[in-house]
Amino acid sequence: MTIDPQVYSIVVNEESFPDKSVIIKEGSGGDWIHVILEGRVKIKKQTSKGLLTIETLTVGDFIGAMEFLKQSKVPRFTSAIADGPVLVGTLDAELLKKDWESQPLRLKKLISSLMQNLEDAITNFVDLAEASKLR
Amino acid sequence: MKTEGKIPPVVRLQYVSGDLIIKEGDFGLSIYEIISGKVGIFVDSSGTEIQVATLDPGMIIGEMSFLTGTSSPRSASARALEDCCLEAWHPNMISTVYKKMPIILGLIAGQSLKSLARMNKTISGYNSKKRKDEIKQIQQSSDRWSSRRSFYRKEFDKECVYRPVNSPKSLKLIGRIKNISRGGMQMVAKTSNSLDYSHVPGDKFFASVYLKPGQQVNMTAKIVKLQKGESAGTISMGMAFTHMTQEDQKRLGFFLMP
Repeated sequence: MTIDPQVYSIVVNEESFPDKSVIIKEGSGGDWIHVILEGRVKIKKQTSKGLLTIETLTVGDFIGAMEFLKQSKVPRFTSAIADGPVLVGTLDAELLKKDWESQPLRLKKLISSLMQNLEDAITNFVDLAEASKLR
Repeated sequence: MKTEGKIPPVVRLQYVSGDLIIKEGDFGLSIYEIISGKVGIFVDSSGTEIQVATLDPGMIIGEMSFLTGTSSPRSASARALEDCCLEAWHPNMISTVYKKMPIILGLIAGQSLKSLARMNKTISGYNSKKRKDEIKQIQQSSDRWSSRRSFYRKEFDKECVYRPVNSPKSLKLIGRIKNISRGGMQMVAKTSNSLDYSHVPGDKFFASVYLKPGQQVNMTAKIVKLQKGESAGTISMGMAFTHMTQEDQKRLGFFLMP
């Protein structure tokens, strides 16, 4: 997957992370959105028996979109951990915020609902994994 | 108000508890916002409806088909869990604003959509396995139940009225009781009943039948064994009584006496 030029044009900062380093910590504050420029990132959720991998993201994927689109200063729902060396770009939050706020109400409801459904599905997945002791 | 053939971009719809709002596999692009009431999201797993989510007012349903495009059928069913009011958005209305959305927001939505689809598939897989284990356990107990029941049952062929225990009283499904005993009965119903309302082992129903004129018996029974009926388009359910008043038990007892 490649980076869309329009996405790359609003990257305001680039940061490298070594293997296994924490890019975003679950429960921490912040609503920045990052895009993966190089490498892979594992999205993990804390469970009673350690960290559970939810999915693996690759180049062009976004990290932290859920919290940004909720716009309610919620803590980070999951952790993002480098799976090998990773280069991420931080997107211009002000510009994105302006874009988001200018969208029609029903469209915002549609996208926010999608984010909520994803959050609920992750919670369900974690509950099931804990119940069946899968890792 | 006349709409002169045009479909309004937004309409309000009322549903009663148990109503199917969206059917998995159907093609449709309308999006619904829940204005009042609760809606359950179900996915089919080997013929069994498994509830994967409960949605509250303010939440949206049907967005998956819209976001994935016209070629994708509905990925889940939505059913009113109580009386509901929904606002239906015409796909053309939402499509116009969606297409004008900044590309980055579109990419974020696309990524989230893929993650959600993958997550729902995994959840459905886990639930399906759990359900299969439960059915296996029920099957084992039903075999024991069938052998016990066979000694005391009376052949019978009467129409009965039944409905799922959590459905509105106004709902009347028609079945036919083929035999009955102190512990349970065999009921045959149209397969179409099971398309609108879950009919799987473990499901409980209220049922009423006239044993003889003036001798009505009401009972609560759960499905312990489910198979195709002898006639096309029918299902046959082995059902165990889970509740019956003492008076109805007596009535049934006298009816079963030789």
